[in-house]
Amino acid sequence: MKQLYFNRIIFGIIGLLILFVLYLQYAIIENTEKIKKDEIQKSENYAQKIAEYLQAKTDNHMEASLTKSPKLRTQLNELLQALLTEKYQYIFVLKKDTKGHYRFLLDGSKEDAVEYKTLFFPQSSLFDKVYAERKMGIAKQQEGTQKIWLSLLYPIVEANQTEALLVVDLSEEYADYLNNFNSPLKMLVGLMQVFLVVSMVLLGLMAYRYYKFRQSVLNDVLTGAHTKLYLEEFFNRNRLDDYNAILIDMDEFKEINEKYSYDAGDVIIKEFTQAILAELSLESKLIRTGGTEFFIVVPKKEISIGVLAQKLFKRLQEKKYLIDNDVIFLTISMSAMIIPSGTSSLQNIQRILDEKLLEVKSRGKNDFIVLDLQMIDNLRYRDINYIKEALEEKRVSCLYQPIVHTQTKQIVKYEALVRLVDKEDSNKLITPDHFLKIIKGTTQYIKMSKLVLKEVFSSLHAFKDIKLSINLDLDDLYNNDMMKLIAKHLYKNREVADRLTFEILEYNEIVDYDKVMLIFQQLKAYGSKVAIDDFGSGYANYSYLIHLDIDIIKIDGNLISQLHTSAQRTKIVLESIRNLAEKFGCKLVAEFVSDEMLYTQIKALGIEYAQGYYLGEPKPIEAYEKFIKV
Amino acid sequence: MYGTIFAALGLKAPVHLYVDDKEYRSVFRHSPDIELTNTFEKSDIVLVTTEEALELARRKKGENPEGKPILFATDYHFLKSCEKTVGAFYWRKGRSQLLFLKKRLDRHHIAVPEKYGKFVIDEL
Repeated sequence: MKQLYFNRIIFGIIGLLILFVLYLQYAIIENTEKIKKDEIQKSENYAQKIAEYLQAKTDNHMEASLTKSPKLRTQLNELLQALLTEKYQYIFVLKKDTKGHYRFLLDGSKEDAVEYKTLFFPQSSLFDKVYAERKMGIAKQQEGTQKIWLSLLYPIVEANQTEALLVVDLSEEYADYLNNFNSPLKMLVGLMQVFLVVSMVLLGLMAYRYYKFRQSVLNDVLTGAHTKLYLEEFFNRNRLDDYNAILIDMDEFKEINEKYSYDAGDVIIKEFTQAILAELSLESKLIRTGGTEFFIVVPKKEISIGVLAQKLFKRLQEKKYLIDNDVIFLTISMSAMIIPSGTSSLQNIQRILDEKLLEVKSRGKNDFIVLDLQMIDNLRYRDINYIKEALEEKRVSCLYQPIVHTQTKQIVKYEALVRLVDKEDSNKLITPDHFLKIIKGTTQYIKMSKLVLKEVFSSLHAFKDIKLSINLDLDDLYNNDMMKLIAKHLYKNREVADRLTFEILEYNEIVDYDKVMLIFQQLKAYGSKVAIDDFGSGYANYSYLIHLDIDIIKIDGNLISQLHTSAQRTKIVLESIRNLAEKFGCKLVAEFVSDEMLYTQIKALGIEYAQGYYLGEPKPIEAYEKFIKV
Repeated sequence: MYGTIFAALGLKAPVHLYVDDKEYRSVFRHSPDIELTNTFEKSDIVLVTTEEALELARRKKGENPEGKPILFATDYHFLKSCEKTVGAFYWRKGRSQLLFLKKRLDRHHIAVPEKYGKFVIDEL
C-alpha cells in the first residue's frame, strides 16, 4: 500500500510539473504576443504623429506642396530618414496616380531612396482598402516581401479624401528581437520539457519493471496460484469479512515425491491447482501457502462454505493423476470457515484453519471440517488484541476445583484455574484453551501470570484454612522474568506460601535436571510444594521421581479414564504408581474423576486424593468455602 | 520566377538567355527551361543586370531594335534609361516589383497573359 501511495505521489508530482511547464509555455507565448501587440500599438501612435506632422508641414495639400517645393521634399525625406530606427525598416509616403498606380511622394530610406513619383507595386490589396476606406490597416508579411515583419498603413486624409498613404514598415529583425525576448525562459522551459519527457520515460520503464517484478512476487511460478504477499495486499483493498476461507493440504505428498521424483510431484501439484481453480469463481482467490498447502478465499455471497467445502473435497478426492503409467489418487485434509463479521486479522483466520487442519490430520487425514458458529464465536477469544485488552482491563479470574480426600470426601486443596472474563457478558468465562497458546512466550503471558499470582495469594490471605495449587509449565520456570515474578510474590506472601502448590507440566523432555532441581528449590524456599502434573503421560515419566524432589504426583486424567474400558490392566498400572508414590513419600492425586464409578475404584485402589467433576466443578472460591462452613 | 516572366513574354522553353553576370549565370545554370548562351545574338532574351550589360544591349539592339533578343532589366533604373527594355523585375522597399511597359511590348508584338495585366503600365 505504501508503495502504491508513493507511486501515486510521484506520478502526481510529474503531472503537476507537466501542467506547470505547459502553463509556463502558454504564459511565454502570451507574454511575447502582448509585447508585440504593445509595440504595434506604439508604432500606430508613431505613424499617426508622423502623418499629422507631414500634414502640418504641407498645409494639408501634400502632393501640391511637395511638387511645388523640391526643398520641402528634401527636408521631409530627411525627417523621415531621421525617424528610421532599428525597429523600422522603411518609412515612405505613397499616392495613387490617375491610373491607380502608387507613386512615391516621400521616402525616408537612406541607401535606396527613390525619386519623387517613382512607381511602386505594394504586393498587398490592403493598400487599396486603406486608401479607399481611409482607416488605418496592418499588412502582415506575405509572399513577395523581404525584411518586413508588418506594414502599418496610415491614410493621410484631407477633406474626406485620401491625400496620401503613410507606410511604416516594421522590420523582421525587430520581430525576431521580440520573439527572442523571452528566449532564456523558453530555453528553461525547453530543458524542463526534455527533463520531464526523460523522467516520464524512466518512470514508465520503472513502472513496467515494477509491474513485472510484482507479477513474479505475487504469483507462484509453478502453479500460477497467488502467493501469500498477494493475499495480504488483496485484503488491504478488500474487507476480510466479505469472504469465507478454506485451507487444503495434500496428504502424504512426500511419498509421491520420493516414489516418482520431484518433477512428477510438480506435475501433480499443477494438476491439483487446476482442479481447485475449476471449482472456483473468478472472484475467488487461490493462494499457495506452502509446498502442498493452499488457502482459498471465496466471496460470501457466492456459495455456502459448507456446500463448497463438500464439493471441493469430493472433486479433489476423486481426481486421478497419471504418472509413469500409474494412476494415482490423492487424499486431502481440509478446514473451512465463515469469516465472522468484524474480523480484521488474516493471521488469526489462517492460524485457526491451520489448527483445525492439524486436528483433521491427527484424526487420520482424508477428511474435512467446517467450523460451526460456536467455534467461530469463540474465535474472537483467540485475537491477541482481545486478550491484551482483557489483561489491560484486568478481566482475569480464577475458578477453583477442589481436591478431596478420597476416604472422607473432604476438600483438602483447590486447584486454581485461570479464566478470562468476556467483554460483553461478565458471566461468561473463557477457558485457557482459547487464549493460552496465543500469549505463550509473550509479555502478555507474564502479565496474566502476575494477575493470577495476585489473586491466588489474595485468596490464601482471605481464607486462612485453604490450600491452593496453580499450574506452571516448566518452560515458564526457565524464563527469568517469570521466576523473578514468582520469587517476588513468594517472598511478599511468605507467611502463606507454605499453603501453595506448584503443579508442574512438562511438554519437553528435561535435559538438565540439575537446573530443574535448582528451580524447584527456589519454589520451595518458603514451604511451597511441587506437584508433577499428568504423571504417566508424555514426558512426565519415572525419571522425574529419580532426579527431582517431588511432593505430589497427579496421575494423568487419561489414565484414570482408562478404568472405564480396561479396568483390570489400568488398576495394575495405578497400583504400581501408588506403590511408587508411597516409596518416594509423595502424595498421590487422581485427576478426571468424573463419575461415581471412577471415584469408587480410585478409593478402592487406596489413592489418597482425587479431583474431578464428580467431586467438584471449578467454581469461585466463595462457593466452596460457604458450603464447607454449612 | 524568371521562368514564368519569360513565359509571360511569350518565350517558349528552352529559353535561350544571355546574361553576363556570374551570379545570375550560376543561378540559371540549373534551370531546366533556360539555356544560357554565350553571345548576345544567339539569345531569345537578354537580362540587363549591370551598366556594362546595358551599354552592350544599347549597342547591339541599335542594329535590330524590334527583333530578338528581348531586353529585360533587373533594375528600375535600367528600365528607365533604356528604351529598348520591355520590362523589369527588381526589389523595392522589401517588395518584389514586376512591370512591363505597354508601348515597348507592342513594339515586340508581345501580349502578356491577362493575369499579368496589372503589371503592364503605359509610362514610368
